[in-house]
Amino acid sequence: MATAIEIRDLTVEFRTGPEVCASLNFRAGGKVVTALQKLNLNVAQGEVYGFIGPNGAGKTTTMHVLLGFIEAVSGTAAIYGEDVCRSIARRRIGYMPENPQMYSFLTGHELLIMAGQLFGMRGCRLAAKADELIELFGLSDAADRKIAGYSRGMMQRIALAQALINDPDLIILDEPTSGFDPIGRIEIRKIIAGLRSAGKTVFFSSHELSEVERVCDRVGIIAKGRLIADGHISQLVKAGETLEQYFVRILT
Amino acid sequence: MIRILVIARTVWIETIRRKDLYVLITLLLAFLLALMTLNVFGLRNLVSYIKEAGLLLAWVFAWILTIGVSVRQLPQEEKTGTIFSLLAKPVKRSELIIGKWLGAWGIAGASTIIFYILLAGIVRARGGNFNLALTVEAWILHFCFMGILSAMGILFSTRMNSDAAATLTGVLSAVAFMLLPQVPQLAEDLSGWRKESLFIIYYALPHFELFDLRQRLVHDWETMSWEPFIMIVFYGLLMSAVFLMLGWLAYRKKRFNRDVF
Repeated sequence: MATAIEIRDLTVEFRTGPEVCASLNFRAGGKVVTALQKLNLNVAQGEVYGFIGPNGAGKTTTMHVLLGFIEAVSGTAAIYGEDVCRSIARRRIGYMPENPQMYSFLTGHELLIMAGQLFGMRGCRLAAKADELIELFGLSDAADRKIAGYSRGMMQRIALAQALINDPDLIILDEPTSGFDPIGRIEIRKIIAGLRSAGKTVFFSSHELSEVERVCDRVGIIAKGRLIADGHISQLVKAGETLEQYFVRILT
Repeated sequence: MIRILVIARTVWIETIRRKDLYVLITLLLAFLLALMTLNVFGLRNLVSYIKEAGLLLAWVFAWILTIGVSVRQLPQEEKTGTIFSLLAKPVKRSELIIGKWLGAWGIAGASTIIFYILLAGIVRARGGNFNLALTVEAWILHFCFMGILSAMGILFSTRMNSDAAATLTGVLSAVAFMLLPQVPQLAEDLSGWRKESLFIIYYALPHFELFDLRQRLVHDWETMSWEPFIMIVFYGLLMSAVFLMLGWLAYRKKRFNRDVF
C-alpha cells in the first residue's frame, strides 16, 4: 500500500523568550523548547488515522510541519513521497485548521471558487464541485452570504468544504468536530466514513476520543513531542477497555 | 501565474468591500468641490492653483491608500489565521508576496484613475484642461511610484505588524521623496565617511521625485521624451522587484504556528 505520510526523526524547536518588540515579532532570551523529538510516523493510503494527545503535545505542530508552515530543525517529512517543504507536496492535500477562520469579506461560494482556483481548477468543473460541496454541507441558503455573518458551525462547514474542493487524496483535519453540535458531529463522522470508502486518507487530531474510536483505523498518541503509541485500536487497548481508558493509562 | 492573480483578486475584492476607498474618494471629491468654488481675490490663474492643489491631494491620498492596503495584507492573514488555509494550498511564499503586492498596487492604481478623472472634471468645469498625453504619462509614472511604495509596504510587513510597517514605509518614502533630491547639495559641505554614507543613502533609497510630473501638468509643459520616460518606468519596476525580492527572503522561512507556546 502506498504511503501517504512519512515522517522520519522529525525534531522541531521553538524559542519561548518574551517578545522584546511586539511590532517586530522579535523574541530574545528565554529557552528553546523542543516541540517534536525525533518523531517517526507512517500513514498508509486509505487509512483514517487519529492523532491524539494532551494539549501542547505536538499534534498541531506535526500538522504544521506537514503543511510547510514551519520547518523542522532535523529529520524529514514527506507526503506521497514529496518533501513537505515543496509547494507541490500540497497539491493532493485538503486541510481544515482548528478554529478555522476564512476570508470574512467573501461569500461561501466565492471562497470555494477561490480555493479551487488556487489548486488550478477552473470553469464548469470547479463550479459544479463548489455547488456539490455547498449542498453536501447544508450551506445552500448561506452560499451567497458573506462569511462574516456565518455562525461557528457554518464556519466549520465552509472550512471543511474548502478543504475538499480539490478532491484531495489526503485530508488533514485539526479538531474537526470542535465547533459542531451533536448532529453536526454525526454528519462529520459520515463524511469521514464517506472519504474512507472513497479510498481517501484522513489524518486528524481530536480530543474527542469516543469520536476517534468510532472512525479511525489506526491511532497515534503523542506526548511531549514523542510518539508513545501507534497502532490499530484493537491492538492497543485491552479487552473491555475503551480508548479513553487506554489513553489515561498510558499517559499516567 | 493563476495563483498570483487569484491572490491579487482577493485583495481587490477585500479593498472594494471595505469602506476605506470610498472614504478617500468622498474626501477628495469634497476637497475638489471646495476648490471649484474658490475665487481668492479674483486670481487670474486659478485653474493652475486648482490643478496643483488637486494633484497634491491625489498624490497624498494615493500614498495613504497604497501604504494602508499593502502593509495590512500579510499581518492580517497571520492575525486572523486565514494564512493557514491559504498556505495549505500549493501556493509558494513568493506567489503569496507577488500576489499581495499586485493586488495592493492594482487597487491603488485603479483608484488614482478615479482621482485623476475627478480632478480633470473639476478643472474642465473651471475652464481649464489637461494635456491628455501628458496626463497619461504622469499617471503611468505615478502608478510606478505606487508599485515601489506597495513593494516597500509588503517588505516591511513580512516581519512587522501593520502599524510598524506603515510607519516605516511612510517615513522612509516621505524622506526619500522630500529630502533625497537635496542630498548632493548637502554632501558638498561634507567630506570623508559622512559624505560617503550620505551617498550610500542617496543611491539605496528609491528616487520618488523622478515619478512626479505634477509641475509639468500644472504648467501645461510638453510631454517627456520617451527615452527618459522608459528609463524611469524601468527603474520603478526594478526597485519594486528589489523590494519584493527582499520581502521574499524575509518571508520564505517564516514560521507560522498558532496557540502552541
